[in-house]
Amino acid sequence: MKVYLKYNYPQLTKKIIEDKLSELGYKFKIVGFGEFNFLEKVPNEKLVELTEYFQEYGIEIVENQKSVLVQKIKDTIVEMVTSDTPPNVKSSVYIAEKLNLSYVYLSSVFSEVTYTSIENYIIIQKIELAKHLIINTNMNLTEISIQLNYSSVAHLSTQFKNNTGMTPSAFQRIILKRKEFTNKNNS
Amino acid sequence: MTEDYINICLADDDQDDRLFFTDAFDELKIRTKVSTFNDGVELMNYLNNADSILPNVLFLDLNMPKKNGVECLSEIKRNEKFNDIAIAIYSTSSSEEHIEETFINGANIYIKKPNDFETLKKILSEVVTINWQYHTSGLNKDNFLMRM
Amino acid sequence: MKENYLHNSTLLLKIIFVISVAVIFFIGGITFKHIMVLKKTSTWVSNSHEVNAELERLISYIKDAETGQRGYILTRDKSFLTPYLRSKDLVKNSYKKVSKLTIHSRTQQANLKNLLFYINKRQNYLSKTLYLTAQENYDKTILRNNLIIGKNAMDSIRVKIEGMMIAQKNLLKNRQNDYESTMNYTPLLIYLTLIVTLILITIAFIKMNRDLATLKKTIYTLSVANEANNLAEIVGGFGSWQFNLETNDYTFSDNEYRLLGCEPQSFKASIEEFAKFVHPDDLQYVIDNAKNIPVNSTLPAFTYRVIRKDGEIRYFRALGRVVTIASGERTHIGTTSDVTEEVYAKNYIEDRNRELENNNKELTAFNYIASHDLQEPLRKIETFLSRLVTKDYDNLSKSGQQYVSSIQSSANRMRILIEDLLQFSRTNKNEKNYEETDLNVLLENAKQELTQIIDEKKAIIESTELPTLKVIRFQIQQLFINLIGNSLKYSKENITPIIKINCSTILANDDELLPQNNHRYYKFVFEDNGIGFEQEYAKKIFILFNRLHNKNEYEGTGIGLAICKKIVENHNGFIFAQGVLNEGATFTIYLRAD
Repeated sequence: MKVYLKYNYPQLTKKIIEDKLSELGYKFKIVGFGEFNFLEKVPNEKLVELTEYFQEYGIEIVENQKSVLVQKIKDTIVEMVTSDTPPNVKSSVYIAEKLNLSYVYLSSVFSEVTYTSIENYIIIQKIELAKHLIINTNMNLTEISIQLNYSSVAHLSTQFKNNTGMTPSAFQRIILKRKEFTNKNNS
Repeated sequence: MTEDYINICLADDDQDDRLFFTDAFDELKIRTKVSTFNDGVELMNYLNNADSILPNVLFLDLNMPKKNGVECLSEIKRNEKFNDIAIAIYSTSSSEEHIEETFINGANIYIKKPNDFETLKKILSEVVTINWQYHTSGLNKDNFLMRM
Repeated sequence: MKENYLHNSTLLLKIIFVISVAVIFFIGGITFKHIMVLKKTSTWVSNSHEVNAELERLISYIKDAETGQRGYILTRDKSFLTPYLRSKDLVKNSYKKVSKLTIHSRTQQANLKNLLFYINKRQNYLSKTLYLTAQENYDKTILRNNLIIGKNAMDSIRVKIEGMMIAQKNLLKNRQNDYESTMNYTPLLIYLTLIVTLILITIAFIKMNRDLATLKKTIYTLSVANEANNLAEIVGGFGSWQFNLETNDYTFSDNEYRLLGCEPQSFKASIEEFAKFVHPDDLQYVIDNAKNIPVNSTLPAFTYRVIRKDGEIRYFRALGRVVTIASGERTHIGTTSDVTEEVYAKNYIEDRNRELENNNKELTAFNYIASHDLQEPLRKIETFLSRLVTKDYDNLSKSGQQYVSSIQSSANRMRILIEDLLQFSRTNKNEKNYEETDLNVLLENAKQELTQIIDEKKAIIESTELPTLKVIRFQIQQLFINLIGNSLKYSKENITPIIKINCSTILANDDELLPQNNHRYYKFVFEDNGIGFEQEYAKKIFILFNRLHNKNEYEGTGIGLAICKKIVENHNGFIFAQGVLNEGATFTIYLRAD
């Protein structure tokens, strides 16, 4: 039997970080997604130890300030895309305001670290969410396009096709057939 | 970032295509390490070697002697060790049935070999970039499907 | 039907027979009973007469005794006493007789007892009187009293006997009445039952006559049918056989023998005899099939070879099934036909088909390989060209640069041609992936595929509800893409392209474009407001590589609509085009609905 799971990554990681840090006896405070403050002085060698400790969960301690900033931008984008009430300003303005830094600066840092632009990353996230909705809900394309704040179904379809090279329905069909195929092979 | 390079593998029996491929990555400003293989058997030998560094993205030509792309794809999909590898089919064929079949068999990306070098560069850059996003942003890899 | 009728008729006759027998038994019984009654009645009459006679005799004996006694008393002559002395015994005898005769009548017996009392009384007084008068001096008053009592007793006897005689008469009368009333209705009953029997027998007679006529007719029809059958067997080149499953007997028709090149009925009909003619290679096969006959109710058709008497090898085809005939016996009946010519013809067609299929496969493979493998070198030419242009363009002379760009555009055109040709060769029937598909979904997919160009041209596509059909999904989707794409490509500048897609069901008979039959079709109409074409080209546009426009005006290879036609034909449908120059084009597709 195959069981399909859906994770809440932020919650999952937060729980792991809390558990591990408490286990090691640190005093700390979780600030936001992917960020926490030690409430005591921690020597560098301890930090190395912690890095190794977290590695098995795929959690990295990001030393680089730019990486931290990029992670914050990404978090902001995910939050913006998944929010039920879309921001009433342009996303560039929204992100700049949210992080209190100039968009030009954010943009250049983001491209440098991730090989892609903020705009493109937003699209990737939106399409990712669209994929999720196509597969896991009964929403039709019109409903999805409204949910994701697209001006029309055609707009969503075009962007989906530009991003994945296929239409939303082709995507849905392939995923369904693949599940059928793997189920058949496993049973 | 713990990895300095994005590891890329290509299995293609055509020498010119391998040349275009490596040249394209050379000209792209992405830190990549590209290894090429002449056929499916060579590729699988490499992947199954415990010392080998597994690629982030694997490009598979469909039409190869000894072991073709579809056979490699099935073999890779059967082995959990290779779960993290994104598989890109790299082929001349543009038959819809063909494309759908490889996707159903577990391919993530289908690339129809382009007819000019600049397009090739653009496609490879896009593939690596988007794969990088899947790799770094916790996107659901099961939903990673792309046609170029 | 007829069998059934005769069967019913037999049943009716049986019923009539049973009823008739029952009626005759009934009449016999009644008659016997009446004779018995008659006999009894005559006994009663004579019995009554005897009783009366005896009674009269009885009273006369008593009177005799009295008369004798009286004579004796008067004369004192002893000879008068003789009747008196004798009468005692006589009365006694007589009384016994009467008692015996009336043993069956309770009233008479009671009367008799009563009578006996008076007789005894009378006799008593007689002997008393006699005793008194025998004395020398008897009292005359006593005598007188005795005589009076005696006389009274005598009177009572007389009355009693008279009463008894009347009772006897009444009894007789009653019995005679009873008898008469019985005898009165008996003849009527017998008469009625006889009439009923007669009617039944008449019905039976008519019925039998009619059945006989039917039987005659049936026999006649049968003999004609038999003759016709024989004739049909000869003309049609087949024979028939019967195998009675109860008796295990075979019967072969005349032509069965002729098929084997033998005289009719020239050998005993049996599987062993027949097997002698079967080709040795097929013998086991035939025997195996024959073994199954009693097991299975039908013998599926099978073909085998025989060697005729003249040595010629022929192909026979046997077919049979078990039937239950009117008598209830199960019989396997079957036919044998000589299918030699058919087998040869079929083999020929199969060979040709295989050849054709191979040719077709080769052609498809050639098409595919030609177009597919041609792509490879072309792609390399183009890629190297593109590298040349980006890297070394500036090192080329002006004319060299010109040549390179010409090469590029030719290579590009060649690529488009090859791609379209490849698609055309791929659109064949071999990939038979017919599935139940909602055409609305395919249309939606097609629109999604064309999203970019639809957006660019701001085209409007209107469609009615489409059906669900068993189709090759990719092909119908391609059909929609090509048709809509065609309309978009040949749209008028500065006018919003409007494409109307309409679907309806029609009967082939009602449409002059379709073959005239009763099949139902879905009629899909794709109508646009583009540049259209002149109607005289309506057929030409579906021909491979046929273009109505100069390639510099509109891009295209002339393959798109040829692919459409091929797809529609793969689905056993029809496609037609209608055009009005500068007004628009209409494409009509018919796909089978049933």
